[in-house]
Amino acid sequence: MTETADAGAARAGRDHALAETFVQLADTLVDDFDLLELFDQLMKSSVELLGVSAAGLLLDDQRGNLAVVASSSEETRLLEIFQLQNNEGPCLECVRTGQPVTSDDLGADVERWPLFVPRAVAAGFRSVAAVPMRLRNDVIGGLNLFHDMETPIDADQRRLAQAFADVATIGILQRRTVHRTAQLAEQLQHALNSRVAIEQAKGVIAERRQVSMVGAFEALRRYARDHNLRLTDAAAAVVRGDLDPEVPEG
Amino acid sequence: MDEPRERWTRLLASAPEERAGQPMRICRLCVDLVGVTGAGISMVTTTANRGVVCATDETAAEIEQLQLGLGEGPCVDAAQSHGPVLVGDLARPGDVVVDRWPTFLPHAEAIGVAAVFALPLRIGEIGVGVMDLYRDRPGDLDDEQLAFALLAADTAAVSLLQLGRDDDGEMRVERLAQSEVLIHQATGMVSAQLDVPVEEAFLLLRARAFTTDRLLADVARDVVELRLRFSPQEDA
Repeated sequence: MTETADAGAARAGRDHALAETFVQLADTLVDDFDLLELFDQLMKSSVELLGVSAAGLLLDDQRGNLAVVASSSEETRLLEIFQLQNNEGPCLECVRTGQPVTSDDLGADVERWPLFVPRAVAAGFRSVAAVPMRLRNDVIGGLNLFHDMETPIDADQRRLAQAFADVATIGILQRRTVHRTAQLAEQLQHALNSRVAIEQAKGVIAERRQVSMVGAFEALRRYARDHNLRLTDAAAAVVRGDLDPEVPEG
Repeated sequence: MDEPRERWTRLLASAPEERAGQPMRICRLCVDLVGVTGAGISMVTTTANRGVVCATDETAAEIEQLQLGLGEGPCVDAAQSHGPVLVGDLARPGDVVVDRWPTFLPHAEAIGVAAVFALPLRIGEIGVGVMDLYRDRPGDLDDEQLAFALLAADTAAVSLLQLGRDDDGEMRVERLAQSEVLIHQATGMVSAQLDVPVEEAFLLLRARAFTTDRLLADVARDVVELRLRFSPQEDA
């Protein structure tokens, strides 16, 4: 009886958090939104709500390549880059085919991805699920989940991940439907450039405050949130020297 | 999947020319590969003067001058928004654009410009200029044409940053916009070490790579991993 009540409460709690996430994702889709905020939110939701170990996001850079635009950890970012550099891996396969790609047991898939699997296993991951960011025939990227537990990423988690990816895709492609290429280019290129600006800002903060890049990013993000600034704008201000965010304690 | 990038790199490298001519070569390649009537590049930075760097024809030059003079148009918007502004048909540009470019639009029409694609030349917060491509009849860019246009803008940004410098630039197109996170972080660090703008920090990093005959990414890694510091006395 108690167990059922607990399970019920847990479910209600998760449903609430989930609803909250979709509201937040939708909130980022208002006019003049910052794509990077959306990506950041997507990473956070994937890890916290889906309960996976790590997440990463790949986007078409429109020059014939994919770019890693967000990740829940530095390790994950490197693993994504590794796939791009070696032209092999589940996330790449997912974007290329436009279909979800999963591996419940990476160890058993070493022949399928001979380079990726050892690297992913060394990073502590046991299963992977990649879902495409797709609207009709256009695949613009993919959301990737990595898990380090014995239990693989289940169908529920994958379904929710696909729902997150769909909301993000609609956000990117929402404004106009006629000039798809133009619209996508405006959005994606701005986001890709902002990504670079944030790295430059991290360098400035890391040097000024003598902290790691992770600490620098945390300081930047904290400042942007506390002051209701877009991450992109906060980064620009740091690079210009107009802003010198404090590094949070601990 | 790498096809546009490889083709672009090969074609750019196939006709060696002195570096001052590189922006013009990039524009000419755009005319061929992007399938536009003409192309032009303007320098628009916070520190340097604004001005037309090159144009493949009279009309392209006029598009650049017009916008620099009026302070409105796709190239101005691209520089401000940090993203491309692609208008495949100036006669049907959408309400927002009509409001934003009241003077540019009739001028452009008068000189026979039907489509404009403006691409910012930027590396993060390093703003260098803008590239304008135009067509004398309407038509959107397809995916491959856009890929070439973006690759051209990447190359032009790096090339323009180096203009007027003594060291001999490499022809290699470095994938700056891609995964070279270390280079961007190092740029920020050097900018803070020397208290100079990121533009200058980037150039100093490149110069260091060149004079020590190393890859930019390797020099950047040394900076980020604290094995190398730039000091105001020696480097600024």
